[in-house]
Amino acid sequence: MTWHIVTRELYDHLTSLRFALATIILVALMVTNAVVHLQTHPEQVRKYSEKVIASQNELKSRTQLYTLLRNGPGKLYKRPASLAFIADGGDALLPSESVSGHAWTLYGTTSIWSLGYPRLNMDAISTLRPNAAAIDWVFIITHLLSFIPLLFTFDAISGERERGTLRLCFANSISRSALLIGKFLGSLITVLITFYFAVLFNLTLISTESWTQLGAADWGRLGLIVLIASCYTGIFTAVGLIVSAMTRESRLSLVMLLLIWVTLVVFIPSTLGTLSSKWMPPVQSHYQFKTAKDAVIDQLKSNIRNQQETLKARQLKSVDTSPENAEKVDISELEIWQDFVKKDVEIQERLNRQHLAAQSAQVIRARQITRCSPAAVVQYALESMAGRGFNRHLQFLEHVNLHVRRFRDFIVEMDRGDPESLHIIGVSDGMSKKPISPEAIPIFEDKLTFQDTLNSAMMDMILLILLLSVSLSGAFLVFLRADI
Amino acid sequence: MFWTLIRQELLIHLMSARFFAAVIITLVLIVANTYVLIGAHEERLSDYSQREAENRENINRTLTYSYLKLKVQRSPNPLSLFSAGLETHFGSEIDILFDSIPSLSNPLAEVKPDEEYHWLFAKVYTLSSPRAPLGLKNPYLRLFSQIDLVFIFQVVLSLLALLFAYDAIAGDSEIGTLRLVLSHPVGRGNILLAKYFAAMICLLLPALMSLLLTLIQCSFAPSLQFSTSDYLRIGGIVLTTIVYLSVFYLIGLLISTITRLTATSLMLCIFLWVILVLVYPNWSRFTLNPVGEMRAEKISANTQIAQIREEANRQRDSFLASTPLKGEPPLFTETLTLDKFYQSGGFRQGNFPRVQVELKNTVDPLVLDLRRYYDFAATLQIQTAEKIGIVGQHLVAQTSFRQSRWDERLMKLSPTSLYMFATSAWAGTDLDSMIDYIRAAQTYRTALINAFHERNAFASLQWFATNQGTIDWSILPRFHFQRADVSLSAQRALTDMFLLLGTNIVLFMATFMIFIKVEI
Repeated sequence: MTWHIVTRELYDHLTSLRFALATIILVALMVTNAVVHLQTHPEQVRKYSEKVIASQNELKSRTQLYTLLRNGPGKLYKRPASLAFIADGGDALLPSESVSGHAWTLYGTTSIWSLGYPRLNMDAISTLRPNAAAIDWVFIITHLLSFIPLLFTFDAISGERERGTLRLCFANSISRSALLIGKFLGSLITVLITFYFAVLFNLTLISTESWTQLGAADWGRLGLIVLIASCYTGIFTAVGLIVSAMTRESRLSLVMLLLIWVTLVVFIPSTLGTLSSKWMPPVQSHYQFKTAKDAVIDQLKSNIRNQQETLKARQLKSVDTSPENAEKVDISELEIWQDFVKKDVEIQERLNRQHLAAQSAQVIRARQITRCSPAAVVQYALESMAGRGFNRHLQFLEHVNLHVRRFRDFIVEMDRGDPESLHIIGVSDGMSKKPISPEAIPIFEDKLTFQDTLNSAMMDMILLILLLSVSLSGAFLVFLRADI
Repeated sequence: MFWTLIRQELLIHLMSARFFAAVIITLVLIVANTYVLIGAHEERLSDYSQREAENRENINRTLTYSYLKLKVQRSPNPLSLFSAGLETHFGSEIDILFDSIPSLSNPLAEVKPDEEYHWLFAKVYTLSSPRAPLGLKNPYLRLFSQIDLVFIFQVVLSLLALLFAYDAIAGDSEIGTLRLVLSHPVGRGNILLAKYFAAMICLLLPALMSLLLTLIQCSFAPSLQFSTSDYLRIGGIVLTTIVYLSVFYLIGLLISTITRLTATSLMLCIFLWVILVLVYPNWSRFTLNPVGEMRAEKISANTQIAQIREEANRQRDSFLASTPLKGEPPLFTETLTLDKFYQSGGFRQGNFPRVQVELKNTVDPLVLDLRRYYDFAATLQIQTAEKIGIVGQHLVAQTSFRQSRWDERLMKLSPTSLYMFATSAWAGTDLDSMIDYIRAAQTYRTALINAFHERNAFASLQWFATNQGTIDWSILPRFHFQRADVSLSAQRALTDMFLLLGTNIVLFMATFMIFIKVEI
């Protein structure tokens, strides 16, 4: 019986005006998305690989261990996501490369490379062009795949009740739950048909281009993304049924639904995020952060100045000028410098990490609060899946940290392998002078495995399934108790 | 009869559940967003005063004229609460430099990112353009977009307007009340007008109520003080809102008259709403870019600028040939050796002489030569910057300015964007206001150079030497950016308002024509 209702509903929907309009809109947007992606993406990939090659060549030109340590692993770049068309995620704002920390020279000794604090790309915001959202899958899914199901369900129950057909239905031997499932599936399948159709258009266009070769993992991600979208559509279909069962008139039902939709989809993801940050522990502004850091470094520098003075005084005092003694003093001076240079890097990186952690804690909390809207949940899930946006940025920073650690370990190990070296890392005279082969230097890899994306999106996916089951059971409860 | 119709329509709307629901939603959204926006404004304000203090401190710490690093800021506009426009994302701080002209943007940075040279941790660009908008303490929160109050009207009230309109004619004709009404001695035009006025009154109610709530909330915030002219601007925004909502009501009325079936009319109205309000503005900005990259223009401007620079270098070399100074400018360490002439000091790289040294002997005859050279070089570089500025302004007009104008034009095909741009013109947050700001910065730069000339600062010893102690920086002219007055803002908003009004008239005429001919 349920299948009978489903097919009847499907037939009704597929021949309706709304189906035609929905298909036109979805296909038009998906085609736009694909065309724009094909225009912009190859350029980005090209620029990325150019930059990576340039930075690697520069790295390989350094043969001395000390210069390697002083200049660091070069700039590390964020790999552009092959699924960039799925989500924009504000990537223009997020930094796409690592930066080096503040460098200085004191008494002829220079600091060694430290990982800097990556500032947001403020120039990307400061544009003359009017603000607008990108037409990515996130926009299409969160806005339209919630809106279209409401148009198919707002009169599903209230409309039949108005016309009196609902009573006729129940005069037959149909259970309420069978009718509800029939209505739910009928609307859901209709919407998904248009959506899959539009997705096929989009993916066909995108896979024609050789620049954007999608790998097996990418297709797996795309499959999950489509699944997430279907789940999201299901949530709004169920919400439509709930409101439709609760209201007497279909007009009122539509108004209620549209207002709910505007609040959930348009307002909550943006407003609530900023609103929630008001009740969070405050963060330092960039200026405060910079001055605090400068103060600590200055303190360190004045320490070294004092030490330098005492050392000089001791040098003057020692009358014994035998070469063996001079060597000793030299080593103790080198060790002071090593200690200083190490501390400098340590402090800078620790402060950067703390500042970044405080800032991202705010964003993460704000995101958790906005998750009360399913649109936000889908947005975050899709961003993680596509490897864009904030989560991806944190992953990139983690990769950078890992690489830096590997790079430093490599230097220490190379130095340890040289018996002539004094093993005082961080000072030119204390390190191995042996040339190193450029092939041995570790190379930065910024690869996202399928598992990484799945892990970061898992929470959102579970939340979506939970929301779907809650809204479906809500629809059951409301419909079972509704008067006909 | 006309008044009876209006009263009856009003009652129907006001008693309806959809009106009630819409009003509640609008008010809740307005209150929540006003709260957020006031907080954001306060943060901008504190950022502004902090940067001001920082800049003042930097100036007071400067020991020579040539090391001066001036920045001027645009104070945050309280009306960005209503319509944010470019205010919140266009840069609000601009470097005032002798060798670089303030401009809207720096398109050259894209073709030649390494053309700028470092100057004390900051960079000197060929064109100095505003960077770093004022804002949130935690810049990562920019990932959450902020919504201005006009956006709420734009989305919620336009939807309500369509929901009032979709069954205005179609619904009445379906139930049959339209025939009954027409059996009375009342013209068809009157029926339309009555429906129109009743609906507009109903739409105005939530708009005015939310405005009132916003103003009450603002009065509790000490940082937000509206002046009389600000109230006039708010009045302009309300006026634009009325015209905008009327467009959507008339669109609904037209569809309702044409289709005469509520179900069809509803679907058409809602899809049209999605397209006009949510899809088209974003789509047009995202997809269409008729200006393009303009790489060729940028590169040719770049070569032109390089020629101007070469010419300046030639002039400098010929000047230097007639002086006893030898070696690299600006310190000439070949003649003026480090151990005999300078006590200590440093300089910044670049053609413009930025030097801060302590001299051993200020009466050395070579000091006079040095002063003459700095006077010459500074004046030469200022002139060169002006020449480069002309090329640069031309390029900006061709590229980024034209691009944003085209974006506006294309977006304005949707009444929603027309409304957005008109309100931002009223609020003084539109492109024209940003141009005003750049002009003010340019005027300020000229005033600064004149003040320097008056004191003969370029040829003075204090230009480069710290021997005479600290400088009295009170000679610097004060920068004060006054937003365009209300009449000018009104003028800027007028085009868009007329377009909206024209759309209204066309829509009403079309509805009227069809309604007269239609069979009931």
